[in-house]
Amino acid sequence: MSEIIVVTSGKGGVGKTTTTANIGVGLAAKNKKVVLIDTDTGLRNLDLLLGLENRIMYDLIDVTEGRVSYKKALVRHKKYSTLYLLPTSQVKDKTSVNPAQIVRLCEDLRKEFDYIIIDCPAGIEQGFKTAIAAADCAIVVTMPEISAVRDADKIIGELGRAEKENIKLVVNRIRPQMVRSGDMLDMDDINDILSIECIGQVPDDEMVVTSTNRGEPVISNESSQAGQAYRNIVGRICGENIPFMEFPEEGFFDKLKRVFGK
Amino acid sequence: MSEDVKFKGSRSGLQLVLNDTASFSDIERELKTKLESSLNFFCKGTIVKVISGALKKEEQDRLAELFHGYGLILRLMSLETEKAQEKKIIEKKEPEEEIPGLHDMTVIDKTIRGGQEVVCNGSILICGNVNPGSQVIAGGNIDIRGTCRGIVHAGAFGDTKAIIVADHMMPMQVRIAELIARAPDDMEKSKCTERAYIKNGQIVIEPIER
Repeated sequence: MSEIIVVTSGKGGVGKTTTTANIGVGLAAKNKKVVLIDTDTGLRNLDLLLGLENRIMYDLIDVTEGRVSYKKALVRHKKYSTLYLLPTSQVKDKTSVNPAQIVRLCEDLRKEFDYIIIDCPAGIEQGFKTAIAAADCAIVVTMPEISAVRDADKIIGELGRAEKENIKLVVNRIRPQMVRSGDMLDMDDINDILSIECIGQVPDDEMVVTSTNRGEPVISNESSQAGQAYRNIVGRICGENIPFMEFPEEGFFDKLKRVFGK
Repeated sequence: MSEDVKFKGSRSGLQLVLNDTASFSDIERELKTKLESSLNFFCKGTIVKVISGALKKEEQDRLAELFHGYGLILRLMSLETEKAQEKKIIEKKEPEEEIPGLHDMTVIDKTIRGGQEVVCNGSILICGNVNPGSQVIAGGNIDIRGTCRGIVHAGAFGDTKAIIVADHMMPMQVRIAELIARAPDDMEKSKCTERAYIKNGQIVIEPIER
């Protein structure tokens, strides 16, 4: 039974694409057949995060307009043989794809893959409507920041209107130090407003930036806290019951290390 | 975003306010998205009045048809009759006619999220939260079994006896009849159920036992 998941947020820059890439790699590492679809036409990034930019031959628009079959447009990941990317066009815009085309494409992909993960563009306009059209379930990504939570709330409302009731929450870029000192929204505040099931709490981690630049999602990095958080999310998607991570208090030496650099 | 179309609660019912400078096609489009976005929330049979002065006959028909499609009734009136009615109400201190559904209660068992709007002639019971950025407008009372963080307007037709009750009352604005109260800039989460009502011409909020 395959599952179509859309990763969305409303606000830009909260980590939709990062989350998509990491969940994709995580599921592939568990030997699931996964395809990631980038629907952020004109502003594609997912290929960069996976380090697959130079392998793209055809894109989503070629497929939806019937120029090539989807099999030709899929780009296989260099390390994980069960992970595929369907990139979008960098030159066209979001009016080039419509919801019906995505639904048709996903019906075809469903026969072959265990998970179809759709990376949604920011905003609530046509690009968003196209991205969510085929989804069975949605992952809403937010940050512990008032504007991101507001936009997530709006997006959950919009998803409800589109009759997508299976919605999960991922809170990204948490800074445990700031939460502890009361300078950042904590999980209780966020749950209070959004009141949907949370499947992930990802700490802010410098390694996310370095791994993004290198094109290797942070989830494959054993020593990274964010990587561990993403591995937990993947486990929860597969139905495992994993408790949320505790963020250890920063010790005196860690602080020294941070102040004087590494 | 410019707002060419607005719903306003007035003394004599729900009123549609149109921007005179906007083109009819813009108005029609915006009205459609607005009705679409707050669908299920307008009660069937809600009467909406519009001042028809600036509209052509065919435009009036188009609007009436649009409203009819959503189960709403559009009542056209000229500026003069509207003014006359307002005056009549002020003079006689009694509504010229009974608003349909004023004593009905609508129950909504989900969270009202940012950008959503609930409009109703009667009273509203919400089993869920009212989130920031949302609006609840009722002709009667509003009872929220959850946290209220949005804008709530009870007694939208001028009923000064209307009340608003919430488990946690922390709204952006409270409006009762023609009065508006704004939340303090630094608000703490209330610990008990509270009620907002009008006392000596002012909106007050006080704790109650439920």
